[in-house]
Amino acid sequence: MKKRLAAVAVALAGLAAPGATAVPELPPYAEAYQPQGTDERGIWMLADEDERVLRDSKFLIGDPALRDYVTAILCRTVGRDRCHGVRIYILRVAAFNANMTPNGTMQIWSGLLLRVRSEAELAAVLGHEFAHFELRHGLAGFRHQRAALDIAAWAGFLGQYGGAVRQGAMGSIYQFSREQERQADLLSLKYLKQSPYSAQAAAHIWERMMAEADATALGRKQKSTRYNRVPYFATHPTNLDRATYLADLARDVPARTEGDAAYVDRVGTWRREFLADQLKLNDFGGTEYLLGQLAASGWSADLLYARGELYRMRGHPRDLAAAADFYRAALAKQAELPEAYRGLGLALLRNQQRAQGCEAIQHYLALHPSAPDAAMLSTMISQ
Amino acid sequence: MRHIVRSAMCLFAIVSMASPALAGNALITPGTPVSVAKSGLTVTPDREWNKLGARPGRNSETWTLDGDELNGLNFYGGIQSGKTLFREVSKRTKPLPHFSTTMLLTDIPEFLEDSYRIALGTSLFSIDAIEPVQFLGTKAVHFVYSFRRDQEDISRKGDATATIIGGKLFMITFEAPTVHYFGRDIESYRHLVGTARLATL
Repeated sequence: MKKRLAAVAVALAGLAAPGATAVPELPPYAEAYQPQGTDERGIWMLADEDERVLRDSKFLIGDPALRDYVTAILCRTVGRDRCHGVRIYILRVAAFNANMTPNGTMQIWSGLLLRVRSEAELAAVLGHEFAHFELRHGLAGFRHQRAALDIAAWAGFLGQYGGAVRQGAMGSIYQFSREQERQADLLSLKYLKQSPYSAQAAAHIWERMMAEADATALGRKQKSTRYNRVPYFATHPTNLDRATYLADLARDVPARTEGDAAYVDRVGTWRREFLADQLKLNDFGGTEYLLGQLAASGWSADLLYARGELYRMRGHPRDLAAAADFYRAALAKQAELPEAYRGLGLALLRNQQRAQGCEAIQHYLALHPSAPDAAMLSTMISQ
Repeated sequence: MRHIVRSAMCLFAIVSMASPALAGNALITPGTPVSVAKSGLTVTPDREWNKLGARPGRNSETWTLDGDELNGLNFYGGIQSGKTLFREVSKRTKPLPHFSTTMLLTDIPEFLEDSYRIALGTSLFSIDAIEPVQFLGTKAVHFVYSFRRDQEDISRKGDATATIIGGKLFMITFEAPTVHYFGRDIESYRHLVGTARLATL
């Protein structure tokens, strides 16, 4: 019995230590790589089918220029040859995320494009996802999971030791996933180091993600999770871990271009749409933090308008007064911003400042007579 | 004795599985006023509807013809200040906005939109039209919206009529897939909204 247990322990130890944690060298590149073996061909087949569905999804942002821009950043990061194995799909989802499937399908969510503030930061994320692809993590993860589930199933025959072995096997799946994420982070840093972009950008993202999560938690009267231990079922290292090891590894690398002005310029037209999605998530603290970050180089009319909307939606009397100020500040910067007059009017009306509110709404209707809510607003101010 | 107890437990299990108490669904007959959403709100349907036992929240109720995925009629009978439109998916990670007495009629479409976006996890939701109407004998808002659920490629449309009376939100919404169902059943819903009455509170 002891021998058998020892054998299982050895097997588990093997599962739990998936490889060296050192930065992997850039893997050899093969043009038009084809899946090898039954397992890989199978997961590519499933990924191909998922991609076919994704290609027709209504959540896709149909802007070829934006997609080409993001693709160009990926190519500058990982190299022109390598990046051609990837198809990028930008989806309208208001959360910070990106993912990669084994066949080279990369999903980027609009919430990520809203939050990264430079080409270098986007390059770090794209490099991370590309690293999963290049290191064939999907295949390795699938095989590891299958082996761990086999052990968990056979653990039933181990009597009193079965529970512990099963728990170890299941835990190893998540540990393996965390290790893959760490490897992808490290390889992403390698790509950044040989790209025109600054390697320090990778750590900055996670630092801001932690600050935003703290602001969200504070706004919802919850505790910060910044210093929490790694949960048993976590698939990723904690943001603090990632920020720490990425900053350490990039410390001695000379700073290069961030590409922040170019990024804001190219994504700028979409930022307003992505911000509108964010405003509707009932996350006052996180959104207020995010707006502050976006306004690091100054409050534009768009950002002031968004801040007005955020405060008006929460709707405490003090929020309505603040919202009115933000709308007025937005109008001071850009007089022809009809939505700001609408927001100002509604904030004032809700705050029982009827005369001023009606005046602002009239201004909105004069600037935008065909507004979809024109009839409704006309009725409200004629009461 | 033990045998009898076991038989009784089996019988109870079978009855509770088959009984409508578990589902609580009921057939609504046409032509007579029906009180809905545990409130003073009554409507008089012109056709048979199925009332679902599962309620979206405390002061609400759902009716359907073919299943609430295909045509869902929701009644909100007096949502109080500080309450959410419907039951929260996760109070901790996805808290819904709260209704407030101070809301203007134009805030109601935004309130519904935000609640849906959070609960359904979608960013494809748009308010297509807003107009003033009379509802329950007072000024109200009528709005039309379209949306898709998270990563689901079925286009859905919604139509809602809402007002605030005595500091509480009263609303009737109808939602169905854009293809076939919305157009087929919208008139029946509009007729129903026209019959809505509110007992004196």
